[in-house]
Amino acid sequence: MSEKLGFYFDQSRCNGCRACQVACKDKHDLPVGITWRRVVEYQGGTWQVDGDSFQPSVFASYMSVSCNHCEDAVCVQVCPTTAMTQNEDGVVWVDDSKCIGCRYCEWACPYSAPQYDADQGLMSKCDLCRDYRAAGDDPACVAACPSRALDWGPIDELRAEHGELAAIEPLPDASITSPNFVITPHRDAQPVGTGTGHIVHEHEG
Amino acid sequence: MNVHELPMIIFTILAQMSVGAFIVLGAIQVVARFRGRISGEQLDRLTDPALYAVGVTLVLGLIASIAHLGSLGNVINVVRNVGSSWLSWEIVLGLAFAASGFVFAATQWFKWGSTGLRQALAGITALLGIALIGAMSMIYTTLEAVPAWSTWVTPVQFFTTTILLGALAVGADLMGTIMWRQRRKDDVDGMSEAEALDLQIISTALRGIAVVAILMLGVVFVVTPLHLTALSQGGAAAVASAQVFSGGWFITRLLLVFLGAGLLGLFVFRFARESQSNPRPLAVVATMAFGLVFVGEFMGRSLFYDQMIRIGM
Repeated sequence: MSEKLGFYFDQSRCNGCRACQVACKDKHDLPVGITWRRVVEYQGGTWQVDGDSFQPSVFASYMSVSCNHCEDAVCVQVCPTTAMTQNEDGVVWVDDSKCIGCRYCEWACPYSAPQYDADQGLMSKCDLCRDYRAAGDDPACVAACPSRALDWGPIDELRAEHGELAAIEPLPDASITSPNFVITPHRDAQPVGTGTGHIVHEHEG
Repeated sequence: MNVHELPMIIFTILAQMSVGAFIVLGAIQVVARFRGRISGEQLDRLTDPALYAVGVTLVLGLIASIAHLGSLGNVINVVRNVGSSWLSWEIVLGLAFAASGFVFAATQWFKWGSTGLRQALAGITALLGIALIGAMSMIYTTLEAVPAWSTWVTPVQFFTTTILLGALAVGADLMGTIMWRQRRKDDVDGMSEAEALDLQIISTALRGIAVVAILMLGVVFVVTPLHLTALSQGGAAAVASAQVFSGGWFITRLLLVFLGAGLLGLFVFRFARESQSNPRPLAVVATMAFGLVFVGEFMGRSLFYDQMIRIGM
């Protein structure tokens, strides 16, 4: 059995430039409204009592997510047609010859990975740049990151190197889909379920 | 109005109404035959028009569901994942309910087979219908990503709509049948004995329908605040979907269901006791009750799809 592939994201290095998002969009020639890799800004803050005064204590961090090619891929489970296919290496992709464009996978995924292409009448999603990998190259998003915050590879190796953390705010609890994803968190990152911030500028970029 | 999900709103409402109406018609048949005041044949003549209306409603719903799809060319694949997709089961059970219902309607129309055989067929159809609403509920209840859907409230909402709309649709249908037969008569006092018995049976049925509608109204008004409270105590996505239940659209929906099922339900109950001389007031009120609740439930289903607010990003 081949190894399961996944992404690694070093949140402490990300400055939110969205080069990964744009590289993905450019590589796959995605139309307006479809963005397989997305970067969001997560902000929050509170006041700290400092003697007789209140000091603002604020935080902001970025999260870059595409498909996590989950171990328990909920999109594959709910798809009525078996168009949502998972390879032996864990990569999840849409078989256009089966998809009916019912959008049930879109409802089911807490990472917004499957996205509807209205022109084609089909679902579309990240396939971890299958053609680039076949040619021995990195996926477009990984190659584009100027901070070297993104990486990809066999998930066991990524976990051995970077740890097991697969979810922090504003991501969903990792127990829902068991994503093949590893994060090095930002210093102000908040554990899942304890978030006090919110996603801002959601429609930016 | 959630125009984006309009096909799904139409499909779920019409399919649930069909299943509910089929079950309510069956209940009327069972009770009336048990009491034995009317012959089976005369009873069939009363309920068969409503039965055929159920078929038309279901077909319209299934056509609407097709409009939800992006690629019709691949539609045959939709049943491939019965191993793990509730959506596949929805299609399988929807088609099975339709097929079984049509065979039953055909046996009623052509008087094929014995009464017992037809009753068995009706029973199987009703069970398939209940299974269909169950599968439909599971489509939404199993989506952990959508807090407003992944709760016991979804099946309760769907089955409430099924019974409420089914009962009121049958009430309006039955009164429509009576009025259609009376349409050329100026003097309703001149009803034949058979017609008088028909009206009596239907009036009894409408009293039952009124009681069912008022009970279902009670369910709506208990479940809605519980649902809202639970969502308000959840995470950001849950809180955002709780906020969908506010404003004029939500209030109008509640008012329509309250007026239709509650207030008019009471009038239906009252008129059904006095309709022996003139069925017109009962027909008007039963039709209005159905109309108001249909619009109210339609608006409610639109809000249900507005609540597709996911956790995560």
